[in-house]
Amino acid sequence: MNLAGLALRNLKRRPVRTSLTVLGIGLAVGSALALISLSHSIKDSARAGVDEMGDDLVVMQKGASDIFGGFIADEAIKRVAAVPGVTRAAGELFMFAPSGDNRSVLTLGWPDTSYLWAKVPLREGRVPAAGERAVAVLGEGAAAALGKKRDDTVEILGKRFKVIGVANYTTVINRGLVLLPLTDLQEASLRPKQVTMIHVNAEHGNAADIARVKDAIEALGDLTASTANDMLSKDRNFAVLEAISLAISIIAIAIGAIYVLNALVMATQERTREIGIFAAIGWSRGRIMASIVVEGLVLYVFGCILGLAFSALAALALPYIPTIGNLVSFQPSPLLIALTLAAALALCAVGSLYPAWRAVRMSPAAALRRL
Amino acid sequence: MTESDNAHLGAAGHVDNDTLIALRGVSRHYDSGAIAALTDIDLDIAGGDCVAVIGASGSGKSSLVNLLCGIDNPDTGTVLWRGRAVRGPRHWTQLRRQSIGIVFQEFNLIPTLTALENVELSLFGNGTSPTQRLARAAVMLDRVGLEPRLHSLVTTLSGGERQRVAIARALVNKPSLLLADEPTGSLDSVTAVAVADLLFKLRADLGMTTVLVTHDEALAGRCVRRVRIKDGHIAEDSAAIARVPSVVDKQASP
Repeated sequence: MNLAGLALRNLKRRPVRTSLTVLGIGLAVGSALALISLSHSIKDSARAGVDEMGDDLVVMQKGASDIFGGFIADEAIKRVAAVPGVTRAAGELFMFAPSGDNRSVLTLGWPDTSYLWAKVPLREGRVPAAGERAVAVLGEGAAAALGKKRDDTVEILGKRFKVIGVANYTTVINRGLVLLPLTDLQEASLRPKQVTMIHVNAEHGNAADIARVKDAIEALGDLTASTANDMLSKDRNFAVLEAISLAISIIAIAIGAIYVLNALVMATQERTREIGIFAAIGWSRGRIMASIVVEGLVLYVFGCILGLAFSALAALALPYIPTIGNLVSFQPSPLLIALTLAAALALCAVGSLYPAWRAVRMSPAAALRRL
Repeated sequence: MTESDNAHLGAAGHVDNDTLIALRGVSRHYDSGAIAALTDIDLDIAGGDCVAVIGASGSGKSSLVNLLCGIDNPDTGTVLWRGRAVRGPRHWTQLRRQSIGIVFQEFNLIPTLTALENVELSLFGNGTSPTQRLARAAVMLDRVGLEPRLHSLVTTLSGGERQRVAIARALVNKPSLLLADEPTGSLDSVTAVAVADLLFKLRADLGMTTVLVTHDEALAGRCVRRVRIKDGHIAEDSAAIARVPSVVDKQASP
């Protein structure tokens, strides 16, 4: 027998309390992991979506606090395209737009001359012809979510568009896109001659050339050029989302630690006499404390296994959430799992130490007198 | 040994070379001094002694045993182990792990564990491997006649069997000093005799110093030396009347 075996015996003595404590830790770890993963996944999905478009740089309004919060006059597209080192530039207006059945879909408007149309990975149908209006190309995810197929009509911002193609992008966020001609989206959203972002490809893909192009674009005034990664890391919405997720996760894990603390305080109070026995047969204070901390760690291990199972279930359930299911993939990275479990371990260890310390403070004789 | 210990030893006097454990001016009070369990006790127990501590309920017998094994601390005075003051909790822990075995009236076994595991607990921290621990625990349980019940949960054992497990646990480290606090107090008369016989047989076999706290005059009569406690004082000590040189108790003597 060892300390872990002793801990298991003690935990099995009170199956209901042990189960509830493990459930509490599991919910804490699972919700913390799900929240942090979700906020990271939203950001990662956005980054992957922009990367799939093949941009070297994205240009936004200078000072825009987030990717939805800045607007650029569409005449700036030509000025950016004329910057030395820029091979092509394409404007884009994007927003979450209401569709006919009260769903919001991520909608992009591209000029009919944009090179981005040529890069659409069509599963079926076609992209708009030059000058064609009131047509839409749907990502597979958006088509499925809206229940639309080729030649159906989809309503965006109160206007009707004929579905002429379905695209099979690989990233979750792009699979949820609705692509419209820029002019249609500008009119429907009352933002004539405006775009949100300009996609830029540089002549040379190396970092030094891209940095030179970036400086040249920003010298045009009122514009900020950055890589997709930089753009997303400066985005206020993502920063707020991550901060809230982290705060709630810390609270959740702290609650899990309090479950451990409570369970062990009760257990050590009930087993005061046994702790006196351990002392009477020559167990050191350190060994007695270790036996109690190990009990907390056993609870932690089972709680973490349950928490991982909960977060896996959350990952499976996410695609079925209407508002974000078709925009975000949920894949906790091994590093994120390790960090969450390490934080939970640290808090559970602290939660175990206090009852352990309380247990060894009493003299063995006094402990043995307890009933 | 601290200066105060030395000062106290100087006041209390000499400790014989054959003394295993001694109390010097030891007092113990409870309830913030309101209850005097023991007052100014001086007691020497020689290696190999078999000492019966007798007295009425509440006289201070169990308090004396608690101080002899360091599970309680005296308010004043010093406990000496082989002539040197015990230095504090760590020293006491080491002594209980290696040199002092304790048998309680209430058995004090861990209810979730088997007989074998209860005995094995005493071997934790002695540098023995798990396999060695189990082997030694099994041998000791065999000696107390519980070989068939090694893997039985202690909650399924009879009172006599539980006390045998407790005796095995106390002796598995081959202690120099066995303290038995009313070891037959929770047993019926037949079982009590059997457990007492076992205790004295093991004592004779292993030759360890034994301090036996009991109400039972007959049981006390099996010890060479009798110390009577009354109102927290030593009212009578047979060693003070005629010091017994032998380490063999009456039971073992022809």
